[in-house]
Amino acid sequence: MAAIELNGVQKSFGTVDVIKGVDIRIEDGEFAVFVGPSGCGKSTLLRLIAGLESINAGEFLLDGKSMNEVAPDKRGIAMVFQSYALYPHMTVAQNIGFSLDLKKVPKDEIRAEVEKVAEMLQLSELLDRRPAALSGGQRQRVAIGRAIIKKPSVILFDEPLSNLDASLRVQMRAELQRLHQELAATVVYVTHDQIEAMTMADRIVVLKDGEVAQSAAPIDLYKRPANTFVGTFIGSPRMNLLSASVRRSSDGSVEARADNGWVIVLPDGFSAFDGDRIKIGIRPEHLRLVALPAAISAKVSVVERLGVETYLTFNHPKGSIVARLEGDITVKVGEQVGLEVTENACHLFDSSGASIQSG
Amino acid sequence: MPNGSAKNSASVKSADAAAYGVLAVISLYCAIPFLWVFIASVDSEPSQFLAWPKEWSLQNYINIFARQDGFLWIANSLIIVGSATLIVMVLGGLGGYALSRSHGWWRRPFLYTIILIRVVPPTALIVPLYKVLLTANSVVGGIVRAVMPPDLVRPTMHIFGFIDGYLGIILVLAATQLPLALWIMKTFFDTIPRDYEEAAVMDGATLMQTIRRVLIPLALPGLGAAGLFAFIIAWGDFLMPLIFLSSAELQTLPLGLFRAYMRVNQLDYGFMTALAVIYTLPAVIAFGFARRFLVQTFGGGVKG
Ligand SMILES: Nc1ncnc2c1ncn2[C@@H]1O[C@H](COP(=O)(O)OP(=O)(O)OP(=O)(O)O)[C@@H](O)[C@H]1O
Ligand SMILES: [Mg+2]
Repeated sequence: MAAIELNGVQKSFGTVDVIKGVDIRIEDGEFAVFVGPSGCGKSTLLRLIAGLESINAGEFLLDGKSMNEVAPDKRGIAMVFQSYALYPHMTVAQNIGFSLDLKKVPKDEIRAEVEKVAEMLQLSELLDRRPAALSGGQRQRVAIGRAIIKKPSVILFDEPLSNLDASLRVQMRAELQRLHQELAATVVYVTHDQIEAMTMADRIVVLKDGEVAQSAAPIDLYKRPANTFVGTFIGSPRMNLLSASVRRSSDGSVEARADNGWVIVLPDGFSAFDGDRIKIGIRPEHLRLVALPAAISAKVSVVERLGVETYLTFNHPKGSIVARLEGDITVKVGEQVGLEVTENACHLFDSSGASIQSG
Repeated sequence: MPNGSAKNSASVKSADAAAYGVLAVISLYCAIPFLWVFIASVDSEPSQFLAWPKEWSLQNYINIFARQDGFLWIANSLIIVGSATLIVMVLGGLGGYALSRSHGWWRRPFLYTIILIRVVPPTALIVPLYKVLLTANSVVGGIVRAVMPPDLVRPTMHIFGFIDGYLGIILVLAATQLPLALWIMKTFFDTIPRDYEEAAVMDGATLMQTIRRVLIPLALPGLGAAGLFAFIIAWGDFLMPLIFLSSAELQTLPLGLFRAYMRVNQLDYGFMTALAVIYTLPAVIAFGFARRFLVQTFGGGVKG
């Protein structure tokens, strides 16, 4: 029902620039997730969309219409707060129906709407309780109910699951996705949990210091990070970064000589000249063990055996490397092993960190 | 440890007994004056000493209302202290909200300055305060004399006068209680997340709706506590009414009690103690009502 467009949006508090010119486009009905480290401006951006903060420069368009000067309640946007913000002096039903009550909708109509929403969220039994008598997951659902009763075209969530324990979080994740399908509303969801982002999003917007580092579908973000920040932010354990120099031979082959001594053969098709300094990103899952002697060999510093997979850490003064290997691997600390990088799996960045891969 | 437990619990018990004994004596010592006041007030011939009445009687209470101006004193006290409390709650609520939500540089200096005002002994303030109120009073007096027929000037001044009028004493009492209320409300609003108000804004609430339907219910425990303190302290204040009220029509309960004590030729214990009981009751009742607000306010803010 609503496409979101942010054009050069800026926001500062006093002299501090928090949002520094952000361009984002979120399609109608998309589930968009904002991720980024603490303090990067995720909440602020969400509050700008909600209208709780005013935009200093740039424009926020909803379905092509400028919303900069539109009051928060006139935007057709609902928000679920991290603290839920349920009114303790009202029952669940009153909390959910509050927005309709403010609009002077007749009582029986409110009741009917509240019951419909409550049914969708499995809250029917709890309508006469106070928020204090609810569990964390139930409060969460009431907060969602209060948002969706307004039939918003956009729903904003600010870290809605961060107050729940791990198992409830998995359950609510599935429930939120089901709701998104049912409501067909555009969702903007803030989290700093990349699993949440990867599993729920149609589009992930990675923010860094008030700027968009990359905005793409989750799997594109994983496969084609636009810079080292996104590369290391998405994926766990994080992507290994090696500083290296490019060597182009006269026969057309290209290799990178990393500062830690590794030599990696690269397929051509990236923009770097002979002798250029680059950064190579290798995801831990793209390293595998091979028999010695091998092109790359390293000494194991840490072994973490999780059963289904094994993490090996190779310490080096020029930066440690982590390998994520399938199955239970029985290598010992101190052992010298041979390593191989999966073909075409290297991510190449220039010295400033921007991707230099062409395809 | 398990072996010594029987012996331990025995010695714990005797220590407990000793503690309870001491506490009982102290409590009794504290309670006796109240007991005396109450018993003497229903004694037909009360004396200076605690004694079981030979004859029970409510005559002392009847005297207060029938022969003295008991009703007037109670009404005056309630009007003056009640209005002051109301003003304190309204201004304390609004001001506390502003102090909690604003980021202005003036916040801290302001909060410490108003607490400083409370540090000055009220007695030291009497002379300057009297000067200020006298000036205000003559201004009001000038206006009242200009617009009112001469025979209505005195009654009007009893209401709007700054000296010997309701308005003056109400404002003085409210002003002295406001700093504490501002501190309580500021601290209380600090515990209420802004999310509540923002959720209301997102739901389309106007400012008045947000205040009435969200902020006041949330702030009620704090307001109750602030109002309770204001009421109890203002109710117990004796100095300000003594200085600023002189007309017989404006006498309050503590002044009535004081004047009864000052009647040197005959000290009427029955009358005084009955008046003391009446004077004590509203504060006790107010405390009873507001106790749960106190617990909520000083026991951890809003939950839910
Ligand atoms: N009202 C405000 N006044 C001043 N600075 C603010 C205000 N709100 C946010 N900031 C600053 O803006 C920056 C971004 O804050 P924001 O809350 O958007 O971060 P975030 O990405 O949501 O972080 P988190 O993951 O910790 O919630 C922070 O440095 C914060 O201190
Ligand atoms: Mg945040």
